Amino acid sequence: MSRAITPHRRHIGLDPAPVGNRNRWSVFADAVTVVLALLWLFPLVMAVAMAFRPQRDPISVGSIFYGSELTLANFERAWNTAPWEWHFITSVLVVVGVLTVQLITITLAGYAFARMVFPGRNVLLFVILLQLMIPTGVLIVQNVQIMRDIGAFNTQWALMMPYWGSAFGVLLMRQTFREIPRDLEEAARIDGANVLQVIRHVYVPLSIPTYTAFSLVTISARWNELLWPLVVTRNPEEARPLTVGLNQLYSATEAGAQWGSLMSGTLMVIVPLVVLFIIFQRRFIESFASSGIR
Amino acid sequence: MRHLARSIVFGFIAALLAVVPVTMAQDNDTIVIDFYWASAVEGNLPEIFAGYAETFEAQNPGVEINVVYTGSYTQTRDTILAEGDSPLVDVAIMLATDLYTFIDDSYIIPLDSFIEEIEDSEAWYDDFFPAFWLNSLDAEGRVWSVPFQRSTPIMFYNADLLAEEGIDVPTNNEELIAAAQALTTDERDGLQVPVAGTFPIWLFQSFASGYGAPLTSGDPTQVTFSGEATVQAVEFLTRLGMPVEEGGFGVGPMGGSAWGETPAAFLAGQAAMIYHTTGSLTNILENADFEVGVSFLPSGPAGEDGTGYAAPTGGGNLYMFDDGSKTEAELQAAWDWIMFLSSPEIQSDWGAATGYIAARSSAWEIAPLLSLTEEFPQYAVARDQLQFADEEFTAYRSVEIQNIINFELSNIISGSVPLSEAADVLANTQMQIDALLAETEQ
Repeated sequence: MSRAITPHRRHIGLDPAPVGNRNRWSVFADAVTVVLALLWLFPLVMAVAMAFRPQRDPISVGSIFYGSELTLANFERAWNTAPWEWHFITSVLVVVGVLTVQLITITLAGYAFARMVFPGRNVLLFVILLQLMIPTGVLIVQNVQIMRDIGAFNTQWALMMPYWGSAFGVLLMRQTFREIPRDLEEAARIDGANVLQVIRHVYVPLSIPTYTAFSLVTISARWNELLWPLVVTRNPEEARPLTVGLNQLYSATEAGAQWGSLMSGTLMVIVPLVVLFIIFQRRFIESFASSGIR
Repeated sequence: MRHLARSIVFGFIAALLAVVPVTMAQDNDTIVIDFYWASAVEGNLPEIFAGYAETFEAQNPGVEINVVYTGSYTQTRDTILAEGDSPLVDVAIMLATDLYTFIDDSYIIPLDSFIEEIEDSEAWYDDFFPAFWLNSLDAEGRVWSVPFQRSTPIMFYNADLLAEEGIDVPTNNEELIAAAQALTTDERDGLQVPVAGTFPIWLFQSFASGYGAPLTSGDPTQVTFSGEATVQAVEFLTRLGMPVEEGGFGVGPMGGSAWGETPAAFLAGQAAMIYHTTGSLTNILENADFEVGVSFLPSGPAGEDGTGYAAPTGGGNLYMFDDGSKTEAELQAAWDWIMFLSSPEIQSDWGAATGYIAARSSAWEIAPLLSLTEEFPQYAVARDQLQFADEEFTAYRSVEIQNIINFELSNIISGSVPLSEAADVLANTQMQIDALLAETEQ
């Protein structure tokens, strides 16, 4: 795979171009990259700085890096607002529970749309495409009703079920599978592989970068979701995800902006994702570059 | 490596199956009260409510309180509206001003029949500060909600600075300007009134009433936003931030300060006096490294003796829901829970824990609020101002009218519309509001 992505590497700033070949465009591109990186970094830096400043200091006292002192008091306050350790377990369960099922459904559906011929295929694909265009917000009332009807309301199943199918994932896998040469499948068939074995041993291994990219998108979307968990789970508070706990800090506006506890709460919630990204950084970048997801 | 990954995945799935069934089978004889709470302050509120529920359940065998955090006031309102025709909610904390949002198309119920059942119901009713009842009453005088977590704006001042400059605490608008001008330096605002941004109406209410032209007075079909007194109130508020060369007082930022930043500016010594909510008291008292003074909002020129003290109220009340399907026992249990939460003991505890103003007098005479007021008399000042307090803005088409008023006020205060045109703008806005209200009446 690594050969396939080499042409992209310079654009995303992984390898500096050989000095002799540098033209003004590559210098310009590097400059833009640096500026964009700083822009993206800015909120994170601010969050870290504010999380460790004493609550009584507004951001405007001194500069953000001096004229103040360091403190952990904000983390203590933020920690005391919610049962975070349980929220964390719930969030991890939900992400894993959604992703595991999604990977199975999008693989099977993606294969069906990419390689199988059956009546109504295009209509079905069109319907799935349509679903991409409906904002999830408008479905909330109906979805809550369904969860109540099937008895899943106020369980962690309700947090996961609506996401077990993924229109985006199905289309993504369809495109990926279509690019895999049919010859490979036919060779496997001749060796006696059935459909599932073909998918397992031919299509899946060749699509790992796409899976990685899709997983990252799903993980961060589910990790950051607030509205659905807030509406569909009720109690105990322990069975709700991190965003619900964080929401308490975000709605504490009565006494003015409590930047300190707000930002320390935010850091506690995003750290697992940031660590995950740093560990798998290289693989993620390669996946996004080769799968075309941005 | 592959086996490790696989066992991790299976481990998670096993854990998932083990943890997921969180709903427990209910005993059929148990009455379950679904209680939704919203809040706008910080603290370990889930734990506090869980404690209240436990105490209540011990006193009321056979009743179980299902405590649900439903987010901010807006999120709570939307959650309840989303439950549509078969609401799950029994009791909820919603904005005191949500009455007219819910009165027509939802399932809140009037509470008069329950209140009549209380032993000595008049004494119970009168124990609450009268200002806090104003938003609970409809045009016919029926009671739709019980005050729970309330607030009102007060003035905070840096007592050390005032002492240094030899300035007395201002009690009316003239003294306020004189004091603020004396306290203003290059690095410091004399006075910050947080009316910048999208919600100036709350604090504007105190100016409007102080000038003798309250926005509303109990009738949901009447809103006053024009006339001489209103124009004077708007002019005064606008001049606070306007530079002296342009005819202003020059004591604060043009257009007012931002709500979220004002307490921090006060704590950092960048503002000598601020208007803010009682909900900020705890935060400010805890974090100030100077003597914090608290006083009534200085008075406007209204009133017979020229002391037009005025302040709006804010915060949340307890509402009760019934779509007609509930049994008498269920309704009684819901009402008992409301009575429990609004009892002096809980009001005292909740006020001390959150900084909200306890809504009834007797709550201030018992621990922990009693000892808190002894240690910090500032809390009592806020309470005493309540005698001058007024309802928070509400009317039919409340949200739309609020948006219009907020928009026009922001335009004038920030200087986008010159002050000379303010009277015309207000008159036009009044016509717009009246048209909306007339539509509702038809």
